[in-house]
Amino acid sequence: MNARATTGTENALELRGMSKRFGALAAISDVELSVRPGERRAVLGSNGAGKTTLFNCITGDFPPSEGSIRFFGEDVTRFPAHERIRRGLRRTYQISLLFSGLTVLDNVYLSCLGVSRGRFSFLRARKNDALVASSEELVQMVNLWDARDTQVSNLSYGQQRQLEIAMALSGAPRFILFDEPAAGLSPTERSELVEILTGLPGHMGYIIIEHDMDVALRVSEYVSMMHNGRIFKEGKPAEIEEDPEVQALYLGGDDE
Amino acid sequence: MRAFVERRPVWSAIIALVVLVLLYLIFAIWPEWLVDAIGRKKVFLNALFNGITLGGLYFLVASGFTLIFGLMRNVNLAHGSLYLLGGYIGFFVADSTGYWLLAFPVAFIAVGFLGVLLQILVFRQMEGQDLRQTLVTIGISIVMADLMLWGVGGNFFNISPPSWLSGPMETGLVTSQRVRSSGEVVTSYLKYPMVRIVIFAASVAIGLAMWLVLNKTRIGMLIRAGVDDRDMLSATGARIQLVFVGVFFFGAGLAGLAGVVGATFQSAAPGEDTRFLLASLVVVIVGGMGSIPGAALGALLIGLAEQFGSVYFPTYAVVLTFLIMVVVLAFRPQGLLGR
Amino acid sequence: MAMIDTSSRAKVDRRLWIEKIPAAYWIVGVILLIIPSFASDFIMFQIFGWTFILGMIATSLMFLGGYGGMVSLAQMTFAGVAGYMVAIFGDSAIDTISMGWPWWVAIPLALIIAVLFATAIGWLAVRTEGIYTIMITLAIAAAFFYFTRQNYDVFNGFQGFNSVFPPQLFGVDWRQPEAFYYLTLFWAVLTYFAVLYLSRAPFGLALQGVRDNPRRMAALGFNVTAHRVAAYAFSAIPAGIGGILLTWQSGQISPGTIAIQPAIDILIIAVVGGLSHPAGAFIGAFLYVILKTFAVDFLIAMGLSGDRFQLLIGLGFLVVVAFSEDGLLGLWKKLRESRKKDPLTGEVTE
Repeated sequence: MNARATTGTENALELRGMSKRFGALAAISDVELSVRPGERRAVLGSNGAGKTTLFNCITGDFPPSEGSIRFFGEDVTRFPAHERIRRGLRRTYQISLLFSGLTVLDNVYLSCLGVSRGRFSFLRARKNDALVASSEELVQMVNLWDARDTQVSNLSYGQQRQLEIAMALSGAPRFILFDEPAAGLSPTERSELVEILTGLPGHMGYIIIEHDMDVALRVSEYVSMMHNGRIFKEGKPAEIEEDPEVQALYLGGDDE
Repeated sequence: MRAFVERRPVWSAIIALVVLVLLYLIFAIWPEWLVDAIGRKKVFLNALFNGITLGGLYFLVASGFTLIFGLMRNVNLAHGSLYLLGGYIGFFVADSTGYWLLAFPVAFIAVGFLGVLLQILVFRQMEGQDLRQTLVTIGISIVMADLMLWGVGGNFFNISPPSWLSGPMETGLVTSQRVRSSGEVVTSYLKYPMVRIVIFAASVAIGLAMWLVLNKTRIGMLIRAGVDDRDMLSATGARIQLVFVGVFFFGAGLAGLAGVVGATFQSAAPGEDTRFLLASLVVVIVGGMGSIPGAALGALLIGLAEQFGSVYFPTYAVVLTFLIMVVVLAFRPQGLLGR
Repeated sequence: MAMIDTSSRAKVDRRLWIEKIPAAYWIVGVILLIIPSFASDFIMFQIFGWTFILGMIATSLMFLGGYGGMVSLAQMTFAGVAGYMVAIFGDSAIDTISMGWPWWVAIPLALIIAVLFATAIGWLAVRTEGIYTIMITLAIAAAFFYFTRQNYDVFNGFQGFNSVFPPQLFGVDWRQPEAFYYLTLFWAVLTYFAVLYLSRAPFGLALQGVRDNPRRMAALGFNVTAHRVAAYAFSAIPAGIGGILLTWQSGQISPGTIAIQPAIDILIIAVVGGLSHPAGAFIGAFLYVILKTFAVDFLIAMGLSGDRFQLLIGLGFLVVVAFSEDGLLGLWKKLRESRKKDPLTGEVTE
C-alpha cells in the first residue's frame, strides 16, 4: 500500500493535464491525478477549489476543456456519461439529484436497471427478478429497508444521502466518486457511513470529496489537496495532517 | 471577426465565396449562358430584394419573440395573434385618419399594452411553469383568432402606403443590356417599390437600435445579465419585474408594429397569425433562441429561402424553409448564433 | 407516480385476478360493450368511433408528454403518415398512385413507415429540450402539411386520397357502424392497456426517470437520447393505428386531416383530459367530439353564431389549463382529496 508505483497494471483512473473553463473562469486547471484500482483517495480543499467540477469532468456531466481521462486504461475523454457508467464508474451527487416522486426501492431499481441489459424492455419485472432482488439487497445494506416504500421527497436529508450511496453501489462498480457523502449527517449517521465505506470490497476503489476531515482521513489511504482549481499536494493522511502549508490553507485558516 | 476566421477557416472561405458570387450576380451584366441557365437577371434581383425585405419583416416579428424568450424563457405562442392584431389596428387607424405613419405608434402601444396584460395576468401567475405558459398562450391564440374573425370578418385588409412612398424607386442596378439593330445600347435598370425599401431600412434601424440599447446602455446590461443569469438579476433588486414588463411591452409592441408592416406589404387576414407565428419559430430556431443577431440572420435566411424558392422551384418553396430548419437542428441544435 | 410491482413487498393478495379489477372498469366495460344494442348508427360511428380514434392519437401524445416529458405537436402527423401510406399502398379512388397491395402488406408497411418517420422526427426533436420540443414539432407538423399539399406525385396534393376503405375481412364490412364501433373499441382498449402496462415496465420507468432527471439518468448509465427517441418511435404505433382508422372512418385522407389545427386539437384533447394517465386522453377525446358535434346547436341556442366553435374550444381549454395542472384528471383528483378532508380540521381522512 505504500508504493505509489503504477507498474504492472493500469491505473483505475488517470487524468492528464485536465482543465475546465467556464467563459473566462478556470474552475480547474492542469490537473494530474492517478488512482490505482482499489485505492481509496480523498480530495480535500476549500469551497470553490474545483472538487465537484473535477467529478463532473470525470463522469462526463460536462466535457473538460483540455486534457484526457483514462479509465482502467481506456481513453474515455470523449465518451458520454452513460458509456462511462456502463464501464463501472459511479458517483454520488452533493446536491440531491434523486427521483423525488419515486419510492426508495424504485430509485435503486432504476440505478440497477441503468447498468443492466433490458433497459428498453417492454416487459414488466416478474417475480424473483434479479434486478429487484439486488435493489432490495442494496437498500438493506444502507439501512433503508424500513423506508423502502417511502417516496423520496418524504425522506430525511440523511436518508437521502444513504440512498445516494446505495445507488452508487448498484451493478458492479469498479470505481466510485463520493461527493461529500457526510455533509449534513448526524454523528451516528457519520459513523455508519464510515462503516459502509470501509466495508466495501477491496477491489472497489473510490475518490471521496469531504469537508469532515475526520471522515475523510479515516476512509482514505491517500490524500490530494486542491486549491484554486489545482492539486498542490499529495500524501498519506498523516503527512497531510502535519503539512504546514495545508494547515495554513485548509485546516486552520479560512482565507477564501 | 478575426477570431471567427481563425477558428473556422473553411467556413470563412465558404462564406467569402458566397458573398463574392452574390456580389457578381448583383452588379455584373449577366452573360448569355447565365441567363440561359437560371433565367433573367431581373427575376433574380427581384427575388433577392423581396427576400431581403421579407427578412426585414420576419426580423421585426421574430426579434420580439426571441427577446421575450431570451430574458424570461416565456414561449409566447400568441405572438402571431399579436402580429395580426397589430395589422388590423394599423389598418383601421390608417383608414380612418388617413395617416399611414400614425398606424405604427398606435399599433405599437396598443399591442404592447396587451403584451403587458399577458405578462401580468398569465406569465407572472405561472412563473417557472414553462409548459403551462405555453399551453395557455396556445389557448389565447385560438381565442384571439376567433375574436378577430368575429370582429372584422374574414376579409383581406390591405393598408395602402401614402403617395410619397408608393411607386417604384430607381435602384441603379443594371438588369439587362441589349444592343438594338440600330446599334444603340439599351440599358434597363431595376425599379423596386419604394415602400419596401423604406420599411426594410426602418427594420434595420430598429434592429441596430435594439442591439445598441442591449449592448451600450445600463438597462441593456441589466437585460443581458438577466438573460445570462436570471437568479442573479433578481438578486440585484426590486426593479426586475419592471424590466420584465418593459421587455414584454417592447416585444409585443414590435409584433404589433410588424403587423402594420405586414398589412402594408401583403395583407392582414385570418391565418396570417399562424403563418407568422410559424415563421418566427423557424427564424429563432435557425438563428438561435434568445439572440437578436441570430434573429436577424435567421430572418434573412428564411426570407431569402422563401422568395428564391418560390421563383426557382415553386412547388416546394414552403418546404425549403423547413428543410433549412431541419439541417440546422441536425448539425447545430442551439441555432446558428445560439450559445 | 409509477411504482415497481414486486411481489415480495406487495401485500399478499389471494383474490383471483378477475376480482382485482376495479369496479369502475366493470361498469365502463359493460356499458361500452352493450352500447351498440341501443345506440343509433350515428352515435356508434360518429361519436364513439371518432372518440376512440382521437383518444388513441391523444394517448400517443399522453405517453410522450406524461411519461417522457416531451409535449409533441407531431402526433397527428404520425397518424397522417400511416393514413397516407395505407391509401398509397392499398386501394383508393386515385388508382394512378395507389398500388392496390393486399391489406396484410399495406397496413404493417404503413405502421412501419410511421414508426420510422417518428424515429427521425424524434431524433431531431430531442436535440433540444423542454419547451423547444413543442415549437420544433409544431414546425415539423406544418412542414409535413405543406409538403403533402404541394406534392402531387406521391401525396396527390390538395385533394389527397378518397375512397380508402377497410378490407372486407371475415365477410364483415368493417365500415358498417356496429362493426366499426367494435373495431375502434378493440384498438382503443388495446392502446389503453398497452400504455398502462408499459408505464411500469423497465422502458416506461426509465422514460419517467428521464423526464424527471435526465442528468441523473445519464449518470446511472442510461442513454437519455436513445430513450427519448425510442419513446417517439413507440408513440407512432397508437398514433398510426388511429390514423389508419381515421382514414377509414372518413374514407379519405388529405392535407386538411393533418393541418395545424387538427395537430393543436390533439394537444387540446390530451391536455384537457390530463397527461398523467391514458384515461385522460379518452375523456378529452369524448368531450371534444361531443363539443364538435353539438356545440353548433348549443351556440345557436345561446343566440350566438355557430361559427364561434373555436372560441368555445379555446375558452374551455384556457379554463381547464388555468385551473388545473393536470387537466380534468387533476380536477377530479383535487375534488376527491377535498372530499376526503375533514371540513373542520382540514385533515385528510381515509
